[in-house]
Amino acid sequence: MSEAAVGILGILLFFALLFLRMPIAYAMALVGFLGFSWLVSATAAFRVVSMDIFSTFTNHSFSLIPMFVWMGFLAYHAGMGTRLYHFAYKLLGHLPGGLAIATQGTCALFGAICGSNTATAATIGSISLPEMNKYNYDPSLSTASVAAGGALGALIPPSVIFIVYGVAAGQSIEVLFLAGIIPGILVMSLYMITIYLLTLRRPSLGPAGPRSGWGERLQSLSGGVWEVLLIFALSVGGLFIGWFTPTEAGAVGATGVLLLTMATGKLKLNGLKQSLKDTTRTTAMIMLLVAGSIIFSRFMAVSKLPFELASWAASLELPPFAIMALILLIYLVLGFFIDALALILLTIPIFFPVAVDTLGYDPIWFGVIIVLVVAMGVITPPVGMNVYIIKGVSKDVPLEKIFSGIWPFLLALIVCLALLLSFPEITTFLPELYR
Amino acid sequence: MKKIGKAVAALTRAMDEIAGYFLVAAVFLIVANIVAGVVFNSYILGTYEYVGFLTAAVIGLSLGYCALQGGHIAVDFLVEKFPPRARLVLELITGLATLTFFAFSSWHIVLYGLDTFRTGEIAPTTTLPLYPFIFLVALGLLVLGVVILLRVGKLLRKAVER
Repeated sequence: MSEAAVGILGILLFFALLFLRMPIAYAMALVGFLGFSWLVSATAAFRVVSMDIFSTFTNHSFSLIPMFVWMGFLAYHAGMGTRLYHFAYKLLGHLPGGLAIATQGTCALFGAICGSNTATAATIGSISLPEMNKYNYDPSLSTASVAAGGALGALIPPSVIFIVYGVAAGQSIEVLFLAGIIPGILVMSLYMITIYLLTLRRPSLGPAGPRSGWGERLQSLSGGVWEVLLIFALSVGGLFIGWFTPTEAGAVGATGVLLLTMATGKLKLNGLKQSLKDTTRTTAMIMLLVAGSIIFSRFMAVSKLPFELASWAASLELPPFAIMALILLIYLVLGFFIDALALILLTIPIFFPVAVDTLGYDPIWFGVIIVLVVAMGVITPPVGMNVYIIKGVSKDVPLEKIFSGIWPFLLALIVCLALLLSFPEITTFLPELYR
Repeated sequence: MKKIGKAVAALTRAMDEIAGYFLVAAVFLIVANIVAGVVFNSYILGTYEYVGFLTAAVIGLSLGYCALQGGHIAVDFLVEKFPPRARLVLELITGLATLTFFAFSSWHIVLYGLDTFRTGEIAPTTTLPLYPFIFLVALGLLVLGVVILLRVGKLLRKAVER
């Protein structure tokens, strides 16, 4: 059997184990180990596993993950999301669908201090859904808008998914963070327009709330927005202007949120303890995924499958755009079944050489496109992670009802994807200014 | 069995709590290094090596508790459609496969740690020996293996009861 055939067999075995409910990290590590043993030797495979796991866990480039994760959980347990929502609600709540529109603004603001898609959806969902229920919003609109809004947490910096992509693909974290800003704002705007158009057609989907005066609006600004802007400016801003390395930016952000929320009495000792528990759990989950993917990528490298795939793609008489469309289609389909982070870790060693080295696409642009496509996977059936999280928050809303409201938001993401594909400058504009 | 389960839960919880303290230490160390640079124009030597080791400790110590809470992401929807007996058998097989893998991996990491102990391998800046941290990661994987073993034990008991 050829090395590439063993590679394909390994991928099939990985999917078989995945669908038998083996955790994705375990399946990647196990298949990577088995494949490497087959193609090289079991002794070498054990050596690779031991050294890879230890060097991944001590890798300085990954140290920033727990720091940015902690920053988000501190903000969550200090109730910063509630105050952000209060501000957005006072500003936009009077519009048709205004509460759902305000939810998107809150997701974007919270995304500026939280790097996770799912944490953003969970946090903002627990705050905004009770409000939308109070104003008789149709559950399909309210739940789907929060599930979709979670994507803003991944696109707007800081973003754990960009960190992982950056390390896996050898790209600068700060440039990726910069590249995500305009697409993040674009997705937020498209979501807002979608909600507005939906409620304009069917006002019963999202009845308008009471209008607030400018005095109230300005007052709500002091509740939490300045804190978020301050932390964002210090941490992510400090990273952009070169004061800090990415790890330092994470540590400064986490310390900033900690000091600010403790000094203002918003974070209690229990909240602090819980934030640490949530952070260690999330870090263990992410880092075992990363270690598993590194072992899997060793197997892919010795199978030479990515190189075979790259030379096959180069030999195709198709324009690069068509091959890119095919890659994105594969991501979209896989995204229906696999978690966003795991999907990126699994596929970067395979598709990155094709897209960047063979087809010549910009690696930063490719990263943003991939993050956007996997954001579709977290809201589509059957394993749309954000939908399940929102189901956990709104237990009385059937899963089908949430999925039924997802389609307009999915369409908004597709429109955004089409715009980013047609006008790469939307993504590359800020990074080019920075360079 | 229940007593063992409770003991493992208590152990993983305690390890997870220590992991939290290590995380706080890593964050504060970086901030202290920045402050030292700005105020005294001198840096804490080896900050990044310390942070790397602290991060490894955070991850190693929290792997077991994460698994105990079902924190490692898995795809549920297909297996749930299988008949209960088939599901049990398949989960038992995958559980045993992962248990074997993590048990062997943990053992090989111990061997790797012993190697670095014998050769006296140290971190270049801090000159800290590598082996205690390697053993800590091995311990984390071992505890993860124990959590998987408990799950396999539960599945076996279910299979026997049927």
